Amino acid sequence: MAKLLQDRVYTLALTIVLVGIGAAVIFPQTFPTFGNMSQVVLNLSIDSIVAVGMMLLLVTGVFDLSVGSVVAFSGGLAAYLMFFLNWPVPLAILSALGASTLIGAVNGYLIAYQGINPMIQTLAMMGIVRGGALMVSGSGIQNLPYWFGAIGQSRLLGVQMPVWYMLLVVAVFSFLMDKSVFFRRYYYIGGNERAADLSGIRVKRMKMYGFMLTSTLAGIAGILLASRLGAALSTSGRGLELRVITAAILGGASLTGGQGRIIGALLGAVFMGLVSNIMILARVSGYWQEIILGLILITAVWTDLLVQRRSSIKRSNHGGSKNMEQGTKKVTSV
Amino acid sequence: MKKITLAFLLLATACELPPRQAQTNAALRTAEATAAEGRTDEEYVMITTAVTMPMYVNHDQATFRRWGQARGVRVSILGPAEWDVPAQINTIEEVIGTRPAGLLINGTDPAIAPVINKAVAAGIPTVVYDSDIPNSNRHAFLGTDWYEIGKMQGEEMARLINGKGKVAYMGILGLTNMEDGFRGLLDVFKKYPRIEVVGKYDDKANVEEAARITSDLLAAHPDLAGLCGFDSNSGPGMALAVREAGKAGKVKITTVDWEPEHLQLVRDGVIQMLAGQKRELFTWYGAQFLYDMVHQTNKLSANDAKAGLTNVPYEINTGLIRITKDNVNEFLIRK
Repeated sequence: MAKLLQDRVYTLALTIVLVGIGAAVIFPQTFPTFGNMSQVVLNLSIDSIVAVGMMLLLVTGVFDLSVGSVVAFSGGLAAYLMFFLNWPVPLAILSALGASTLIGAVNGYLIAYQGINPMIQTLAMMGIVRGGALMVSGSGIQNLPYWFGAIGQSRLLGVQMPVWYMLLVVAVFSFLMDKSVFFRRYYYIGGNERAADLSGIRVKRMKMYGFMLTSTLAGIAGILLASRLGAALSTSGRGLELRVITAAILGGASLTGGQGRIIGALLGAVFMGLVSNIMILARVSGYWQEIILGLILITAVWTDLLVQRRSSIKRSNHGGSKNMEQGTKKVTSV
Repeated sequence: MKKITLAFLLLATACELPPRQAQTNAALRTAEATAAEGRTDEEYVMITTAVTMPMYVNHDQATFRRWGQARGVRVSILGPAEWDVPAQINTIEEVIGTRPAGLLINGTDPAIAPVINKAVAAGIPTVVYDSDIPNSNRHAFLGTDWYEIGKMQGEEMARLINGKGKVAYMGILGLTNMEDGFRGLLDVFKKYPRIEVVGKYDDKANVEEAARITSDLLAAHPDLAGLCGFDSNSGPGMALAVREAGKAGKVKITTVDWEPEHLQLVRDGVIQMLAGQKRELFTWYGAQFLYDMVHQTNKLSANDAKAGLTNVPYEINTGLIRITKDNVNEFLIRK
């Protein structure tokens, strides 16, 4: 049990359940309804898809601040190609995703191969891509083709499609990060980059792939958002990068790398979505929402530190007494 | 393989595509039903983006709260702290489920039309303010025409610089209402071939950014004749840089909004004209329209819903305020 409580995924899942029960008691008419729940999950689906990529990067020990801009750019580019150039829907989507991957490749190359600091590189890219989003979307592109809208507005079993895409992305990446040798290498890199390099892992190439994957996921999220809204907005994804980093950290990632699980990113996003929903139901003003989310993040990380510190003290005490016992035995035997 | 095909077919049957067209009169009918029930715990909700923006706080939200007190009803103000239209949409979606008596929505972008339609279809009286969402089924709109704001600035700037010289303009690029304003401005300048537009800039609604752009412009074009601003922070930023360059009054400035700092800059002669909106009227009368819909203050037929009409004005243009050095004291005293 104590071991489970040290795992952020379990503590976060437990917190989500407790918060959910509390909200259901306080707002019995509005919170525990299918309509509200499906809306909450729909609203967090876009962030969650990007959070999966961000978790992968955080495991490696880096992060990407340009994902919010990529969300706006990919939706805008697809809309531009469909609306102004009459490109077929699949081709426009593939082009937008290709452009997103390319953005990730540029980030990855300059960070991994040229040694530019990830924060500076992705911050600069954030501005460049946001400018690109403004150029392609202008004041917004509406009246997109019906089949483009159908991607994000259709429902399966009463739940809107972005939720299913999110679950698919989480399931696939969870499996890969747990089972695939290729993806497990990200943990080695995040744990000790030099050791990983010496053991033959192509660290630079892996890092570049990480940025490409994250940017592609942000591209997918951008397409889904534009499809769901029925419009491409140049202002989409503003502040998204910080939200997904928060979700990933709440879910167990560390800025120093080497730890975190994909399911943790999803739970982090679920927790934030839940808190945001409860604040709306409680009519808490927007002034407070960010303050409360910030406080939650600090509390989560702090609690985690305390738990880890306590367990490491216990371990060292336990290990210490064991060593002492062994030492005494040796002395006695001598 | 058969199992996979079967599973795919099952999924396909469970899949529901979005409707190609939507909208009925259900909204009006439900609004009437709500009124007939005679609610006692009425709550009216205002939903905007950038909920902490001083202009919204001082004008829209303060008036909305005052209206709530005057009417004895509950009012709530919700929305993201940043300019984030998808987050505003998410908030509206989540509020619809709580069934407030009425929704007062800031028309930030045409993309919010589907969610407005959803609120209307759920039977919630819905009024849009500030900028219209004409492609939606909203019950009423109160606000200003941003194209007119651009035109007003263009005409004043042309007059101030005698129809000739270099002019630049700035605001938040990509916002529908501001792009409408830019269009109005440029349409006026087309009539003046000797006015040269040297640039359109994104000041990101940030005073420092507006000041930085302006000082760069002044360095690149020492003969710059005028600057036009389109967001609340454009004016103070442009004025700061112009003042620091010692060109106050020489480089003409027109901009939007009339917060105390804007008014002071007009009095000091740094800004020549403000194109102000009557924002207090948006939210006071917008909320009142919602109240009148819920209470059917003015019943126009035996059954307005059946007759397919809404018993509040469909569209109100509250007009603009032109503030110059001649009348600025009236506004400073009021503040």
